Amino acid sequence: MKSQTAEKKYLPEMPQKEIDEANASVKSTSEKIMVDNIERMKKTDPNRPAAMKYFDDISNFFGQRKEEIEAEKAKGRKVIGYFCIFAPIELILAADAIPVRVNSGWYDTSKFGDRVVPVEVCPVIRSTIGAKMIGLSPYLELSDAVISTLTCDGMTKLSEILSDATQIWTMTPPRVKDSAQSLHLWKEEIKSIKTQIEKLTGNKITAKKLKAAIETMQKATKAFRRLQELRKGNPVIMGRDAMLVNQMSLWDDITRWIQKTEALCDELEKRAAQKAWACPPDTPRVIVTGTPMFWPDNWKLPSLVEEATPQGVLVGDELCSGDRILYDPVGIDEWTMDDMINGIAERYLMASTCPCFTSQDGNEDRINWLITKVKENNANGVIYYVVRGCMLYAMEYARVKRALDKLSIPVYYLDTEYTREDVGQMKTRVEAFLEMLSARVDF
Amino acid sequence: MTQQPKDTTEYWRWQEYHRVRSEKSWSNKDVITAGIDVGSVGSKAAIMIDGDMYAWAVTRTGSNSPDSAKKVLGMVLEDTGLQLDDIKYTVGTGYGRVNVPMANKAITEIACHAKGANYIWGPSVRTILDVGGQDIKAIHCDETGRVTSFLMNDKCAAGTGRGMEVFADLLKIPIEDIGKVSLSLDEEPEPVSCTCVAYAKTEAVGLLRKGWTREKVLAAYTRAMAVRMANLINRVGLEKEFVITGGQSKNMGIVSRIENILGVKTLPSPNWREGGLDPMIAGAAGAALFGKALYAKSQGS
Repeated sequence: MKSQTAEKKYLPEMPQKEIDEANASVKSTSEKIMVDNIERMKKTDPNRPAAMKYFDDISNFFGQRKEEIEAEKAKGRKVIGYFCIFAPIELILAADAIPVRVNSGWYDTSKFGDRVVPVEVCPVIRSTIGAKMIGLSPYLELSDAVISTLTCDGMTKLSEILSDATQIWTMTPPRVKDSAQSLHLWKEEIKSIKTQIEKLTGNKITAKKLKAAIETMQKATKAFRRLQELRKGNPVIMGRDAMLVNQMSLWDDITRWIQKTEALCDELEKRAAQKAWACPPDTPRVIVTGTPMFWPDNWKLPSLVEEATPQGVLVGDELCSGDRILYDPVGIDEWTMDDMINGIAERYLMASTCPCFTSQDGNEDRINWLITKVKENNANGVIYYVVRGCMLYAMEYARVKRALDKLSIPVYYLDTEYTREDVGQMKTRVEAFLEMLSARVDF
Repeated sequence: MTQQPKDTTEYWRWQEYHRVRSEKSWSNKDVITAGIDVGSVGSKAAIMIDGDMYAWAVTRTGSNSPDSAKKVLGMVLEDTGLQLDDIKYTVGTGYGRVNVPMANKAITEIACHAKGANYIWGPSVRTILDVGGQDIKAIHCDETGRVTSFLMNDKCAAGTGRGMEVFADLLKIPIEDIGKVSLSLDEEPEPVSCTCVAYAKTEAVGLLRKGWTREKVLAAYTRAMAVRMANLINRVGLEKEFVITGGQSKNMGIVSRIENILGVKTLPSPNWREGGLDPMIAGAAGAALFGKALYAKSQGS
């Protein structure tokens, strides 16, 4: 553990009074935003599935789930935070620790991050730094250690900066996916994280425990895929609701999340049988790709799309905060420790479509995923969402656009910031794009 | 030292006007539709009779969108003999489109400008640059005026009508003359380095102090704006035929520089001073046309 008195390299000293005031103020805004977001989701789909109530409750960052984790922690369980979905959840669960994702979706904490890094830096990074500075994120505060995968420049330096205040375990992903040495390097990273987790928790990750954890996560994948499958037909669930369910898997007790998601899917199947659609079946269908967007504050784009005139519906995404989270299961041939570690290493590396990868032959996985998604989910168009400063996603746009152009799939590049000020202008962009996709406005 | 009398001329002020095409007439059988385009700087309204332009008006947007919409609608109805009730369908567009109280529907200015440009210049139009009061948009459309792709700059007054107003005032050149004045030099100066209005203004003051003439400063600023607009068009991809809509379509300093940079001529604008349609009302025209189609749809035809 970091000593409290260790000299800080990045984070400025803030008077406790300022921290408390900032925390109270941002927290109070965020509480209002969470309530407002849910109200708006209810308004968009007046027959919203009853099973959503559970996810609404669990989505309160300062509510039930936080208290549960606090209680578990008091009993001696460890909490392991992570930024990127490269973190091997199965290993955390096998050590009886609680995994929680800790990227910040708060707009108002980025101004504190601005004291440490320039405003040109990606706002997800600035906002996460700020959240740590004022202790806003309960999950980040409860984390005994945070796994940080060095995917982009922002994540790399974020790890260094947060080391001032939290125990950070870095994982280095290779930049080229499909080579023997890459997989070897990544496997060593996985093994090293396993050792760290065992050391922190004092729990040995046995083959039996790891098998159980892998099986749990396979069930999670099954429920997750069932939900995504249901989004392929006429809309039985609005995109924002599905996004909320997807993201709750990052914070909730995964076994309970599986039950609740299966129950939601049962309800959705009934709705499909009754043709009780969440919005008219001819609503333009949109897929989002690009920078991850996080609950609670950064619900801007999905809200704009689904509340627009003409209305759109998000039928899927290619986001590491969305449809990519649990899509891929760990594949195992033999339940030996070695095989399980191999399976985990392969799943977290090969299945990732993060733009941090490149290769001489071209990094096709992301484009293939996106195009498959567009086809399978019958999307009418793609919104390419980027926050300013998110270089990898911004730079890959030209290539993605070219691939989509070839297939005559309309794509719109939408850049924004962690701010509420550009909502009016974004609305015009989103609505013009939806008008383009819509057959309902009579041209 | 004698005190100079304060110059209270509003150089930025552009002409607010309304026009009725008196050669056209209407009867109660006609489908009369209105398009109201409440922009950040100008509010425009168009009245169409069966999809044909009958009257239009252009005025300044006030601090309140609903009031501006009412004002411009009042203006456009003047001298037409029409009453509010005669209008079968109204479409609101522009930045304030959701705040047009009498509108049956709101449609973005992007769709409306494409539709309106198709009406004003005909079906050959493929690329439209709409230079509004606070943003610029580059739009592609097909032969029916339907949008196929578009780009919009960041919300910022750079390269827009508002920026030109600020410069007209700063340089004390009436806004209607700035195009001509910016083209009055033999040699084009380097563009100003900063397109942000606030910074460009500071830069311009510096250049004036350095001894640059007003004409040279204006040319440098206009050049910078034109480069910015040309970049946006290049990003969306220039397809002929190309037109410019919005208030800046009247600024020949902008138009000729863009043509020069892109190496392509815009389709000639109708001369609004001599009875032709005004490219500034493309959005309102498109809105009124959508109104006609939506009215037909609402009547089940």
